[in-house]
Amino acid sequence: MTTTAPFPFPPTYNFPPFFTPQPNTTTRHSQLEKWSSLIQSWCRHHRQYRLSLIDAVETPLFHNTTLRKRLDLREARAVIDWMTKSEEEGGGGRRAEWVPDAGGASSSGGLGIGAGQGPKAVAWIWWRRPEEWADVLAEWVEETGQRGSVLTVYELIHGEGAMSQEFHGMDTDVMLRSLNILVKRGRAQIFGGEGQEGVKFF
Amino acid sequence: MFFKSLDLTTALRPLLLPDEILLFVQDAVGLYEGKYKIQNYQNGHAYLTSHRVCYVAAEEPRKYSVAIDLKELDRVESQAGFLKSSPKVTIYSKPQKKTDKSRSATASPAVAQQSALHPTHSLSHLSQTNLPQNPPSPKPINATWICPICSFSNPVPSNFDPATSSAAANLPPCLACGIKPPLTTVLKAAINAATSRESSLPNPVTSPAIAQETGQPNTNASLSPFGPGGTVSCPRCTFVNHPSLVECEICGASLSASPSANANRVDSPGPLFEQSHIANTEVSECIKLSFRAGGDKTFYERLKGALVQRKWLLQNAPPVPSPSQGTSSPGLPPLAPSVESPLPSAPRPSGVGIAGLERRGLEARKKNELVIGNAFEDLEALMASAKQIVALAETLARESGMTTNGGSPETSAVLSESAAALGMVTTKDMISSGSESLYLSELARDLAEYLTDDRKGILQREGGIMSLIDLWAVFNRSRNGVELASPSDFQKAAELWEKLKLPVRLRRFKSGLLVVQRYDWSDEKTIEKLQAWMDELRRVPPDDSVPWDWSLFGRAVTAHEAAQRFKWSVGVAAEELEMAEDRGVLCREEGIEGLRFWRNYISSSECDDFSRLII
Repeated sequence: MTTTAPFPFPPTYNFPPFFTPQPNTTTRHSQLEKWSSLIQSWCRHHRQYRLSLIDAVETPLFHNTTLRKRLDLREARAVIDWMTKSEEEGGGGRRAEWVPDAGGASSSGGLGIGAGQGPKAVAWIWWRRPEEWADVLAEWVEETGQRGSVLTVYELIHGEGAMSQEFHGMDTDVMLRSLNILVKRGRAQIFGGEGQEGVKFF
Repeated sequence: MFFKSLDLTTALRPLLLPDEILLFVQDAVGLYEGKYKIQNYQNGHAYLTSHRVCYVAAEEPRKYSVAIDLKELDRVESQAGFLKSSPKVTIYSKPQKKTDKSRSATASPAVAQQSALHPTHSLSHLSQTNLPQNPPSPKPINATWICPICSFSNPVPSNFDPATSSAAANLPPCLACGIKPPLTTVLKAAINAATSRESSLPNPVTSPAIAQETGQPNTNASLSPFGPGGTVSCPRCTFVNHPSLVECEICGASLSASPSANANRVDSPGPLFEQSHIANTEVSECIKLSFRAGGDKTFYERLKGALVQRKWLLQNAPPVPSPSQGTSSPGLPPLAPSVESPLPSAPRPSGVGIAGLERRGLEARKKNELVIGNAFEDLEALMASAKQIVALAETLARESGMTTNGGSPETSAVLSESAAALGMVTTKDMISSGSESLYLSELARDLAEYLTDDRKGILQREGGIMSLIDLWAVFNRSRNGVELASPSDFQKAAELWEKLKLPVRLRRFKSGLLVVQRYDWSDEKTIEKLQAWMDELRRVPPDDSVPWDWSLFGRAVTAHEAAQRFKWSVGVAAEELEMAEDRGVLCREEGIEGLRFWRNYISSSECDDFSRLII
């Protein structure tokens, strides 16, 4: 998680009312949309797949130090809540997903965030949804002619062959979810034990 | 020129002349000329003022409204309702042509013209015009007043004149018990005698007008063009009698009680005849007001009162005639000089220096004491001396205003205007009881007039919009504690504005706040104003350096700032800003400084373009 370049904030980020929940439904909708895209581009910029709100409210994402304005935890939660809903429900197209309070079960990512912080503390931010990641993976396999070959998940995430790819350094859980989608589509097969998974692409 | 065109106020009520006072209002009134209904004048409001009788139609009031000057009236009669016939008040005009003929050749055109104009004219002519009603020679000899102490019936002093009665403080005591009578008793007696004398017949000297109407051959030959055909039909048996007869030849019924009234009864069983001369000119013989919803009694009483008071004569009268000097005001009828004779003409002290000033002050105080004392003896007496009391009240208010010198100028202005406002306002007393809706609609009109009055500029001062509560407070204050409007009546009246098509309207904000604004005021206009302001803020750099791009976002505004800019009250400004927010024009920022509003950059399209680039 090294930040290479400073994140280019959109102009709305410097608009003070952006940090106040708008009572007008239309305005509120645009506000949430803008927050959603800001959070997504922020996470994408920082290659971040899950967002711990308690930590994030202190980051520049939710805290504009120049304006001395911030989105507090409750409001940030409302934004993520909106993002988790599908567009049909009037939400943000399932661009986020709350990480269930699994008490350390998701520690395989190595960061250990999301553990023991209570519900709705950590969320996946789907700047690419798992389905989209699956497409990206399938395309990459196709392009590099690795159909039929067997790769470990570790190789996929940290391997030299995928260094230039967007999924390089991906969260293991996200990778597994994306691979599972490929499995469901009949394009891959996962085998091996916990932490030792291998995958074969068809 | 009997029917006058009528100027209406914004509230579609008669525009009152200076000094004119609204006396009574009644709705559901129809207008007759002679015995014929006048088309389009069958459902409207009758306004009785001190100077005029006005009719304003409910539908298309600007088209169908007329006024009749009281000074052109000869007499009025009341007619009770009978079966389906509504009660009516008949108004008889003075015979204009006759009056003109009887005058000298030079005077007649002037009189004719004057009657067509407003009653603000030189009084010499006016008094002439009213001569038939107010003859100088005959005194009410048979007028008597009953002593309230011993019930002895005393004659009214021959030099007693109702018009100047308030000044005549030295009434002769009762002949039996020697107690001085209250002024009102004598006043009433004199008024009663005067009215009965005017309507009594035959009296060709006192009232040529009546003589003409009843068809009496006039002593003055030039005054009777109707002489040959002037027969009188009996009110009971309809026998056509010779005009000189006092009683009917056949049935013996009295013909004296104004036979023309008989012909005017629509439901009279007798045949209708001899009406050919009605409406052959613009000058109609008589006008009838048909009171379909009651109120005729009060109207009649007050109309009679107004005719007796003759307020239009007081136009140029000096505010307070001083009884000590004993000189009659020039504006009063020629009877006035007779008042001075019984007054003990105290030798006018040639006071000079401080002693003179003090004496003058003493005299003034005594005079005031007298005026106040007389005025409050009875309401009728108060009416008679209303002019003086108003003048006195004005001077008192001016003095107290000078001495205290406190309070905002606006407040004192409003208070000082209240005397004038008192004359304008509709009070429950002015409307016949039981007619709640009429009271409300009149109150609504009052309010509309009050709001749109450019002299006061209530709405302009508030930026074209003010809350109903503020208006209620200001309005009741201007009534000076008299006949206050209750909050519920007030709200009901305000809700009537739209129905009555008045130029103001009541609006309810989302929060439930009720505001009053001009009829043509709309949210779009407000939003336009706000948007222009926001654009201006984007062009003008802010005073302090701001961390955001002011050329893009502009600056935040508070309700207070908006109130100052548009001269709204803060409550209204907050509501208007929230309305604009609701329309998506503005958006809010809640911070430690409080609630502030920005132009809605969040949902504007330019913002979208930027954020799309980021992803």
